Amino acid sequence: MKAKLIILFLICIFLSGCGNYRELNQIAIITGIGIDKKDDEYEVSVLIANAQKSETSSKEGESQPTVYSGKGKSLVEATKVVERKTPKQLYLGHINVVLISEEVAEDGFLKVADWLLRNPESRKKFYLILAKDSSAKDVLEIVSPLESFPSQNIATLMGANSKTQSITNSVTYSDFIKAILTEGEEGILPSIKIMGKANKGDSKDNLDQTDPETYLELDAIAVFKDDKFVGYTTNDESQAINILKNTVKQSIFTINYNNGLTNITTKNISSNIKIKDTDKFKITINGEARIAEINSKANLNDKNVIKQLENKLNKKIEKQIKTVIKSMQEKYQSDIFGFGNLVYQNYPKSFKDVEDKWNDKYFPNIKVNVKSNVELISTGSIENTIGKEESK
Amino acid sequence: MVIEKNVQKNIEKIKKIYGYSTDISTRIIKLGKVNVGIIFLESSSAGLTVSDNVIKSINMIDDNKEIFQSVYDNLKNRIFNSQMTTTKDFNKFPYFLSAGFTIVLTDDSDEAIVLETRMPLDRGVTESSSEPILRGPKDSFTESHAKNLGLIRKRIKDENLWFDEIQIGKRSKTRVNIGYISDIVNKNEVDYVKKQLSKINIDGILDSGNLREYLISEKSAFPQVQSTERPDLVSWALLNGKIAIFVENSPIVLVLPAVFIDFIHTPEDYYQKPLNISLTRILKFISLFITLFTPAIYIAITTFDQIVVPNELLISLAVQREAVPFPTAVEIILLMTIFEILRESDIRMPSNMGTAMSIVGALVLGQAAVDAGIVSPIAVIVVAFTSICSLIFTDIDFMNGIRFWRFIFILAATFFGLIGVAIAVIIFILKLASLENFGVSYLAPFSPFNPSAQKDAIVRFSMPKIFKRPSYMKIKNIKKQGDKHES
Repeated sequence: MKAKLIILFLICIFLSGCGNYRELNQIAIITGIGIDKKDDEYEVSVLIANAQKSETSSKEGESQPTVYSGKGKSLVEATKVVERKTPKQLYLGHINVVLISEEVAEDGFLKVADWLLRNPESRKKFYLILAKDSSAKDVLEIVSPLESFPSQNIATLMGANSKTQSITNSVTYSDFIKAILTEGEEGILPSIKIMGKANKGDSKDNLDQTDPETYLELDAIAVFKDDKFVGYTTNDESQAINILKNTVKQSIFTINYNNGLTNITTKNISSNIKIKDTDKFKITINGEARIAEINSKANLNDKNVIKQLENKLNKKIEKQIKTVIKSMQEKYQSDIFGFGNLVYQNYPKSFKDVEDKWNDKYFPNIKVNVKSNVELISTGSIENTIGKEESK
Repeated sequence: MVIEKNVQKNIEKIKKIYGYSTDISTRIIKLGKVNVGIIFLESSSAGLTVSDNVIKSINMIDDNKEIFQSVYDNLKNRIFNSQMTTTKDFNKFPYFLSAGFTIVLTDDSDEAIVLETRMPLDRGVTESSSEPILRGPKDSFTESHAKNLGLIRKRIKDENLWFDEIQIGKRSKTRVNIGYISDIVNKNEVDYVKKQLSKINIDGILDSGNLREYLISEKSAFPQVQSTERPDLVSWALLNGKIAIFVENSPIVLVLPAVFIDFIHTPEDYYQKPLNISLTRILKFISLFITLFTPAIYIAITTFDQIVVPNELLISLAVQREAVPFPTAVEIILLMTIFEILRESDIRMPSNMGTAMSIVGALVLGQAAVDAGIVSPIAVIVVAFTSICSLIFTDIDFMNGIRFWRFIFILAATFFGLIGVAIAVIIFILKLASLENFGVSYLAPFSPFNPSAQKDAIVRFSMPKIFKRPSYMKIKNIKKQGDKHES
């Protein structure tokens, strides 16, 4: 009996082979992918992170990021071309970012979505970003002095800014596909832009300068309709989108007070959309705010002054939100906020009739009532404005 | 065989039994018409003690007027010695002589006087070398049987501390003592141990290590008998109702039954503050997991399940491995083997060569191997870390048990990745949980879960709060302190 068990165990070991066994030095770890489209062909660029820098680098654990690209009628066809150029097996498990160019986005994202979603290796939690005004490959190649390889640079840029900067919005691959496929909701993507000369940024010389000639900057939010890219928002609109989608914790508003600019930081700001009827919605914004900078004379000990500032802030928020909704209704006819989804959830039967024409016909005509209740709770470390007391 | 009433003949017989070995010393003293014979082995008896105590007192008898009927009675009552027995059995002579006794015979009696004149063939009580301690008693057992028992008696002055003696070994005639506290211990265990020991029919045993395989058939790689040279550990175990086995000439005492956590606890645990010791114990459990699983998990995540490694770390690992010609598993097993060889040779080597050893070990095998591109730096780190964590445990059998299972985990990881490791862990726990000795489960008090014994398992409560002895031990008297505590 025992001998039989041992034989069975050994058979298990030797017949199973080594399944998906692969040594680390046999795989090319891809951390970033850029998808471009030229004419009818796709160009897939992969950023391989574990290439060696020099002979000594293996001891120091440093790597030289390398970009390979290939063209093909489909994405997999293009990667086959890439594989022919690399001696290692492409490994998709550690992708940080996927960049798509404007052409790909305009053509329809769902045409290229299948590959990475279907591949069992990829984690689907990477950032999806639109490359603004340049090819995705170029963006992928820009090196930064602050991070060891480009994709990491983009990912940290996204991660660090999405919570504090309200003009961008971090969207993962699966989030975006989910948004596209949700009834009565459209997708948005952050965009990234090359500042300076694109052809300078891929060389190491760029790292040797204290003021790098080329760098990447996060730009406004890109609006999609169905799965097609339709246009960019302005910074103010991006801020309002983020507040409406509850994707930002901290946001800065500038208001005019006493002939000077006042910056107010909001904290824990949150929005709530309530449906009143199939074409009537109510949005309430709640949150707290703190004065970040005030450049005019103001007696902040006075409760009325605080109230005034608070009112101005709330007016500003309400206006910004109304503007962005109007812009979406008129300019892009794209319901990125998911009003249609609320209708679908609450009035499923009547949504069926409007489903096909929601974006074009019904969404532009909905009425939205915005109410902002942000409270100004702190003036920061100091109370009053600095400067000598003026004698009245 | 009986003793003849003729000293000359008896002496001749003894010499013949010993094959006329030259270390047999005999002397005949005449007291009037009666011959008094003195026999001892100069190799095991102290000559000075024999002259001072035995021969001197025999000579002094001459001066006294006879108040006893015979010379034999006179000697028996007046001889100087604290340990004296008499025997009528000639067959016992060789044992007494080899054990360092002196035999006094007279012409007028068929009885012999046996006097203890043993030569002290042992070192003194020294500090424990294999189980060092920072705070607490530093003495350790020696090769002297009487001293070993004395070190325990000194600590537990209760008359219920019993030492049952059995002689094992047809030729070595080694004294083996089973120590226990009679009103705490489970009597069945003592009977079982005695039965097992009396079954042994062997020419000789030299150390307590020879006995353990006769006591329990240890099927696991992990030890089920604790061996220690610390008297305080043995005393603590006896107070908790365990059995200690003392073997003559062995500085190592066996304690049984032992459970898994006994090898993680140390006697020092009870001499320091409970909070700090609890943290130390948690650290030890963490080390146990590290030393068992680190190499296996490293192999699994670098060759099968790369997806669980964070990005930066994976890239760093991949770049480090770039120049290494061997598969990861071979690399790890190679380094582990080198470490085991280093450890083994360090034990066997005279201590004055240790410096050369550490230079070769650290520089040549560590730094140079990495520089030469034979192994990757991370592999050296993994193996070094694993080895350091295993050195936290003092029991050599326990360390080797860990080593055995670590190797199983490595094999599982090499062939099946993380899933293989998970299956191996299940088998590991099943194996440990199925062990049992004297009705005490090896994983007690965790499995079966014993709430009251948790006070002294992973964390240690303060001593005044531990009222009971470990309740998973099937013992007679569970109460350790409190009102009903007797005596």
